[in-house]
Amino acid sequence: MNQKPKKGSAYGWLFQRITGIFLAFFLILHFQVLHFTKEWKIDFDVVTHRLDSTAWVIFYLIFVPAGLFHAFNGAWQVIGDYRPKLGIQKTVKALLWVLGIAISAYGYYLIVTFTKGA
Amino acid sequence: MYESKSGFFKKYVDEVGLNPNVGTWAWFLHRLTGVILVLYLFMHLFVLSSSLAGGETFNKWLSTVQNPVFHFLEIGLVAVVAFHLLNGLRITITDFFFLTKPHKTIFWIAMITFLVLMVITLIVFLPRVFSHH
Repeated sequence: MNQKPKKGSAYGWLFQRITGIFLAFFLILHFQVLHFTKEWKIDFDVVTHRLDSTAWVIFYLIFVPAGLFHAFNGAWQVIGDYRPKLGIQKTVKALLWVLGIAISAYGYYLIVTFTKGA
Repeated sequence: MYESKSGFFKKYVDEVGLNPNVGTWAWFLHRLTGVILVLYLFMHLFVLSSSLAGGETFNKWLSTVQNPVFHFLEIGLVAVVAFHLLNGLRITITDFFFLTKPHKTIFWIAMITFLVLMVITLIVFLPRVFSHH
């Protein structure tokens, strides 16, 4: 049998790695700041104080969609392990995109809530 | 990939059985930790959502998740994140720099880094688990 491989896209593969590299740095920083400091107790004031800084706001604005893309694209790959039928594939893919964008928007809304402070 | 109609979990176990090498274990654990992290993300989002009801509600939720039991679970979270992060970097390095041949060596380097990180984590987190506040 001489089957030609189906033409596909490697963007999912590529962006999983690009967001992965970003997240590696972001998560190390995220854990360092929130869990590996002497003042490790977190409350509303601590979070709003951190979000007074524009640099931190920009950090979270990139962190949220990068994390969600990586999470849902990863979930997509796990679903792919089970070889779903084409119709199910299309539905699930559309659902993951809608959910990803919606949760990103919700995440941005939460960031705004924290920047407003107490 | 090997086609089977076995269950949700058995499929992965079969895969490791067919190719019982570190690479397959790394692949399996990467999938497992990935799924755990997606589920964790929703819990994280849920706790953060309490901020919409104001600072006091947020603080109430945060004090619930900052007790010794949760600090103990956080050690597990660090382990899951650290494995996924280090093995993810291994995959990226082998892909981008054509280092498929020494991928097992890179895996073990990642695992030594993992162990060092976990020792540091235990030193930092264990006092919190046993602190009464």
